[in-house]
Amino acid sequence: MIFTIFCVRHYEYDVGIDIFLSTYRFLYDSAMDYQIISINQKGENFMLLPKFEFYEPTSIQQAIELKKKYQGKAKLLAGGTDLLVHLKKKLITTDHIISLSKIKDLSQIKEERDFIEIGACVTMSQLSKSKVIQEKFSALKEGGDNLGNHLIRNRATIGGNVCGASPAADTLPALLVYQTQVLLQGPDGRRKVAIESFFKGPGKTIIKDDEILTGFELPIPQKNCGAHYIQLGKRKSSEINVVNVASFIEINPGNKTIKNCRIALGAVAATPIRSFFAEDALKNKTADETAFYEAGEVARRKDCKPIDDFRGTAEYRRAMIGVLTKRTLETAYKQAMAQ
Amino acid sequence: MKRIINLTINKIIYEHAVEVNTTLADFLRYELGLTGTKKGCDTGDCGACTVILDGDTVNSCLVLAVQADGAVIETIEGLSNEDGLHPLQQAFVEKGAIQCGFCSPGVIMSSKNLLDKNDNPSNQEIREGLSGNLCRCTGYTKIFEAVSSQCSDNKGGSHGKI
Amino acid sequence: MEKFDVIRSYAPRLDAPDKATGKAIFTDDISRPGMLYGAMLQSPHAHAKIISIDTSKAERLEGVKAVITSKEAGTIKYGVSPARYDETVFATDKVRYVGDEIAAVAATTLEIALKAVDLIQVEYKVLPAVLTIEDAMKEGAPQLHEEFAGNLCAEVHQEFGNVEEGFKKCDIIKTTTMKSKRQDAAFIEMQACLAEIDRRGTLTLTTSSQVPHYVQRTVAMVLGMDVGKIRVMKPYVGGGFGIKAAANHQELVCCILARMLNKPVKMNFTREQVFKYARARHQFTHVITTGAKKDGTLVALKHECYLDGGAYTSFGIATVYYSGALLSGPYKLPNMSYDGYRVYNNKPACGAQRGHGAVIARAAFEQQMDMIAEEIGMDPMELRIKNMMNAGDTTCNDLNMSSFGMSECIEAVREGSDWDKKKGTLPKGKGIGMACGFFVSGAGFPIYRSDTFHCTVICKLTEDGGAALVYTASAEIGQGSDTAFAMIVAEAIGIPLENVRLASGDTDMGVDLGAYSSRQTLMTGHAAKEAGEHVRQQVLEVLATQLNTPVEELDIKKGFIEFKNKTPDFSALRTRYIKEHRGWTDNPDSEKLTFKEASRIAFLEKGSIVGTGKYRPHWLGGKFKGAAVGTSPAYGCSAQVAEVTVDIETGQITIDNITDAHDCGKAINMNSVEGQMQGSISMGIGEALHEEVIFNDKGEVLNNDLAEYKIVTSMDMPPVKAIVIESDEPNGPFGAKEVGEGAIMPTIPAILNAVYDAIGVRISELPLTPERVYNAIQAYKEKKSA
Repeated sequence: MIFTIFCVRHYEYDVGIDIFLSTYRFLYDSAMDYQIISINQKGENFMLLPKFEFYEPTSIQQAIELKKKYQGKAKLLAGGTDLLVHLKKKLITTDHIISLSKIKDLSQIKEERDFIEIGACVTMSQLSKSKVIQEKFSALKEGGDNLGNHLIRNRATIGGNVCGASPAADTLPALLVYQTQVLLQGPDGRRKVAIESFFKGPGKTIIKDDEILTGFELPIPQKNCGAHYIQLGKRKSSEINVVNVASFIEINPGNKTIKNCRIALGAVAATPIRSFFAEDALKNKTADETAFYEAGEVARRKDCKPIDDFRGTAEYRRAMIGVLTKRTLETAYKQAMAQ
Repeated sequence: MKRIINLTINKIIYEHAVEVNTTLADFLRYELGLTGTKKGCDTGDCGACTVILDGDTVNSCLVLAVQADGAVIETIEGLSNEDGLHPLQQAFVEKGAIQCGFCSPGVIMSSKNLLDKNDNPSNQEIREGLSGNLCRCTGYTKIFEAVSSQCSDNKGGSHGKI
Repeated sequence: MEKFDVIRSYAPRLDAPDKATGKAIFTDDISRPGMLYGAMLQSPHAHAKIISIDTSKAERLEGVKAVITSKEAGTIKYGVSPARYDETVFATDKVRYVGDEIAAVAATTLEIALKAVDLIQVEYKVLPAVLTIEDAMKEGAPQLHEEFAGNLCAEVHQEFGNVEEGFKKCDIIKTTTMKSKRQDAAFIEMQACLAEIDRRGTLTLTTSSQVPHYVQRTVAMVLGMDVGKIRVMKPYVGGGFGIKAAANHQELVCCILARMLNKPVKMNFTREQVFKYARARHQFTHVITTGAKKDGTLVALKHECYLDGGAYTSFGIATVYYSGALLSGPYKLPNMSYDGYRVYNNKPACGAQRGHGAVIARAAFEQQMDMIAEEIGMDPMELRIKNMMNAGDTTCNDLNMSSFGMSECIEAVREGSDWDKKKGTLPKGKGIGMACGFFVSGAGFPIYRSDTFHCTVICKLTEDGGAALVYTASAEIGQGSDTAFAMIVAEAIGIPLENVRLASGDTDMGVDLGAYSSRQTLMTGHAAKEAGEHVRQQVLEVLATQLNTPVEELDIKKGFIEFKNKTPDFSALRTRYIKEHRGWTDNPDSEKLTFKEASRIAFLEKGSIVGTGKYRPHWLGGKFKGAAVGTSPAYGCSAQVAEVTVDIETGQITIDNITDAHDCGKAINMNSVEGQMQGSISMGIGEALHEEVIFNDKGEVLNNDLAEYKIVTSMDMPPVKAIVIESDEPNGPFGAKEVGEGAIMPTIPAILNAVYDAIGVRISELPLTPERVYNAIQAYKEKKSA
């Protein structure tokens, strides 16, 4: 397993296994064996793509067969905003690229009675324009809207963002709080995995070599629910998050107590994580400023395990988890009340 | 390994053999000579290579030419014609929105796509619609003015000051 | 006031239509049949001895035409300032930073060239590296250059007046330390070049450069060729900001390969190589002590500065002088001392970037002005006006402010920002701050010691008088100089702008030191004006003879001949003109004699009407060591007000708006003046809030792309109110002076002062990332509660 210190950002499909966000370098120093790839050790300066074979399957089945054939050696190409960058920077290599763009099923958002299914190749722009996402999954929309910039969002896919498994990825906290099921398909059929157990570490997921992530299933929130997402970076566009948080809240409209709540934190552990202590602290509490502030404090103290890197120190990340948790809860609550 | 691709660029149909590892940006620039599309980073960070692909703006350095097989593409060269500059280009000229001009083709393509989709974007929407196009010379101010002057609300001669 | 017909207007730029349509050609857009591609091998180590280089495998690769190292390229030293040439094309004995050049390849394709680079075997003995000023200055630290003990690249010690005596008279003395970070200019066009040699031995280098002239001289020196055999051209250039203001190694390598192979060779930097080459703003540490009387009168300034220079000198000697020299104004300051040190270390070299050397010193000093104002209970604007120099004043280090609209700038931003209503009344978390600054309008002396003219311009009329063709070697790099010179020539002759065509950026067209130190408008502008006037004079003289009218009674305005007294009968001339154009349908029928007719007649009498212009400043500055740095025929100046909102919980800063007033003398093109102001502000905001080049402990740049090196995006840019103040500069063409660099001076301190106003705490280290601001707020809270 090779990790790089090179901090590549965006958002793409299945390259994740080899990519290690610098954010997590120190966390894993002792735990795993990694090596620092010096950029340009040999003076390779130009951004030419390596030679590879290119496949464009038109069905999921075909894609799985190809993936099986080349085992771990083939890379899936969806939006290309990560994969092509990593190939150009020689952070990864591959002899086989399997493009998913000809598989139409993967680019759809389907609305069922109790849930929606988002295809793996749905782009951020598509998410943003989708009525059901706007109305029922606003935190996910906010996540997608904050990813990169308008050009990246036209290409970057939700499947790529998830498979990149960057702890700081923009859509992940929202997917966590919406209780997303990840849909995987392999030669032996399909399986559904709760997104909490999908990530194994920075850039690492449980996807098998012959499997493909086909989409996500998200239960449609009931009445009296609200959710919100906030990310924190240094500038207002094209950012890589220092931390990010999504909160989901369901209230008892009668007494304004919190019936249910889920909080997810990004860039403070090896994977995006649920803030279980903070969630517990809020259960059945009256929803008010104090409760939200305290939840933030719990999240900061008990739930997050950040590290230092050049984007921010652990201490600052912790502090910001407190602030963003409180703020996302406040907005989620207002939304829930407005329903 | 080369592949034959068919695509429409600025209303002209091309059939071309390309290496699968050639990006759309390199294909446009070095194989078709459409050098109006610029490269400022090659890693999707600057937006200088912005083209409109099937109705959406993309960084053409992060799209393989083979992925554009069957696509309809607009580049900066397709915007002006024998009658002269596109009104948006004219606005960029008149408002002083161009300095070194290296980001301009990308900025103009993003602006065009924004206005194609929404003929009256708000100031905030203009900023968002250009958020992937870095400009180091102008401080964006005159770019905003140029785009704003082409909003349906402002076309009647208002100066589009932001 | 003098009435102008062309300048002082909002003119669409000459190059804008080509740039808007994708027709404008930049270096990488050019290809040649049979062109080869060059690529370089650069050091992966920050500091290492080169034991051996084996190029044999690379040479054997099919498609490789040449592999060169210092053996082929030679070891002639070059650099920016002849006083300190410390670079060779390729490293010989050792490499001094990650990116130091070792070898290069030319091949039939880029892919092959890169593969060949990969096949070059270099054996290194890795040496201990020093990456900070502190480590480099330690006793026994590894040495970069044998000749410079202690890694001290340059030191400056100056005192004007008597600082110690001055402090004795002061009621308030403030000492602060301010640290900045290395910058990258982040122009969008990466450096690229194309070298080719013709059968008669003339080498033509087409390159993305700000200074074709200096590149030409460096190429001549390093390749051992006559200047006359070298032509350097710059097509359109995608920004430079100082980094492209010297010959880079890629240009030299490209020329060497082209000469060796007799084939065109093209080379490009990748974005990563742009960061490796660096040469942008230094990292500065300033320790500044300012003394004032309790009525606010400034008395003395003691200034110590350390520059993190990197592995080579580049512009560094000038930078270390500039850092000190430009604090002597814009306030009256009788006593000033300066101790500057530029230190070598194993990082890429720093150089000049917009506001060369002076930006961070200004940021530190302008904060002290606010501290003093606060302590004596005076409005920061009042304090500045109280101490402000007047037009005609000379600083303690002999810089003369021949025009100076500084107080007008302050009044303009006071009114434009509604300062009086806002200052002191904004809620917590919101702040307003201001600062001033000034900058040279062109360096008083060339970089190499010479009596050369700084620029020459040729203006030639077409034989029908329909167009004035202007030839200048100046460098349009995006700032709008081509348009400015065309406007100046049009104004000088008295014809409309559309009748002027201009070609620039080619050493065959004359001498021009290029686009740096904000020099072109004033200097090349002078030469352009003189060339235009020369043409005008020749046409009028012929006309005077023909019409038997004294030449003093003739004038050219808007393309027509004006007669001060009675209009003589010019029908004979008109008939002659019309006869020359039998069959033409657009014969002149205006009441006035046209410029076209007059110039046709002039051509018939004299042949080609060619005007020439040149400019060299008068001798400037004092006699002390380093007196040349900071001198200029004129100084632009500006004041800015920034309003900010600070998120107290996260430390995030939003700049709500900026009001900027800049005295650029008489504005040539208002569009370009405002554009320079807005662009400067955007660069200043980036430097203030989120730009820094970050290295790891191996000396590699961690954030070597435009995703992680964070320049201002469209989402970050605040609304800017740009107010143009026009003094009349006696040393400027039509009264014009600079705007390109001076406009960045107040931005950073105005933001810093506004942030202080918002949160009550000063932050002494840039950039003001959310974390840094948050920490400062926390520390302040703790201090307060303790």
